[in-house]
Amino acid sequence: MSNENTIISRLKLKDESALADLYDKYSAALYGVIVRMCKDEGNAQIILQDTFMTIWEKPHLYDAKKGRFYTWAYRIAKNKTLNFLRKPENLIQVEDLSVYKDKTEDVTNDVDTLKLKGSIQHLDAHHQRAIELVYFNGLTHREAHKEMGVPLGTFKSYVRQALKQLQQSYVKLIVFLMLLIEITK
Amino acid sequence: MDKTYILNNGILELYVLGELNRHEQQQVEDALEQYSELKTELDHIEKSFETLALQNGMHVPSSVKSALLENLSSVSPKTVPLQASTKSLNKYYIGIAASVAALLLIGLFYIYSELNTTKEQLQLAEEENIKLSDEIKNLNNDFNEIANWYITINNPNTQKYIMTGNALRPEATVVSYVNNIDKSVIINTKQLPELDDAHDYQMWADVKGEMINMGLIDTSKEMLAMTYIDDAESLNITIEPSGGNDHPTVSQLITNVYLR
Repeated sequence: MSNENTIISRLKLKDESALADLYDKYSAALYGVIVRMCKDEGNAQIILQDTFMTIWEKPHLYDAKKGRFYTWAYRIAKNKTLNFLRKPENLIQVEDLSVYKDKTEDVTNDVDTLKLKGSIQHLDAHHQRAIELVYFNGLTHREAHKEMGVPLGTFKSYVRQALKQLQQSYVKLIVFLMLLIEITK
Repeated sequence: MDKTYILNNGILELYVLGELNRHEQQQVEDALEQYSELKTELDHIEKSFETLALQNGMHVPSSVKSALLENLSSVSPKTVPLQASTKSLNKYYIGIAASVAALLLIGLFYIYSELNTTKEQLQLAEEENIKLSDEIKNLNNDFNEIANWYITINNPNTQKYIMTGNALRPEATVVSYVNNIDKSVIINTKQLPELDDAHDYQMWADVKGEMINMGLIDTSKEMLAMTYIDDAESLNITIEPSGGNDHPTVSQLITNVYLR
């Protein structure tokens, strides 16, 4: 954590290597989000690059008191992707099914690519779906609860429960890893 | 927004997901500063999402990173030269302004010197003008004088007398024109030799044995009007001390002529 603070201080001083460090740490995670939102790797790469350009150009907008760096970066990436998807030319492409299909095929011919991995797989299906909608598909709570056909309050509790379970699984994982480290020592 | 409301309504999740408007976001941030409990909860939510994202990260082609870093190095030096170029642009404009100012100044000096020259020329011209008009005045006077003399000389009542120098001044010749009707005497002194500064020629009229002064002869003038004396029997010219004499020095008589 303190290491990350140092990196961000360097970033604010326009140290290019700091951006490279942040890129190495978070690009894959952000890219996973962007690709799952826009379902197009080519555009996702452009949006990812654009996200890091914003991080590079406006690091002063990040305030550690208001949250973690990754959360800030995630919001930038999400907004950029949503803006991209809202552009009229992209809506036309979505309406044109052949193009849409071709494009999605590019990315989703391997269905596993977009499938969520890791701890989330151990959650109940409706919890997974709730997280996927708001976090990876960029839907708002108001859009997502309609998508799932449950009341907003219920949906909110899905998200909260899902996060609690994820948190616990991470704790378990960390404990497991620490044990593993102890054993290997 | 109080702490309980935020916790019970999943507001922190919305905050992390960026679903709040600016006003709500500000309220949450204020509450976060106030309650450390909220901050702890926020941290848990953030870490949960972050771990989820890291676990679901996807491979990014290395070309994206190299393009990004290349963009940075092309963008960041750009910001420096951009300032430099605006500076140099400013310098450029300052240069232009300075050049224009210099040109204006040079132009001003040029015009000023031209003005001075013109003034000098005008002064010269005025002087010349005055000189010329004086000359014209003189010429007019001369012309009038000559015309008058001509009229006088050509007057049928005018008698012409050639006065030749005696042994004292054999080279001297004076032509006299006498008009007894108009009562005028004009002489031509062209062939009268110059005297030294101490002496002058003086003309006299002989009236019944008495020599009466007709005036000094100014040899610098070619034609000269002398005082007409009534009943003159002869004209006489003597050399007298400078300024003239009351009575003629007879020994210095150089020429004389009897009038008809």
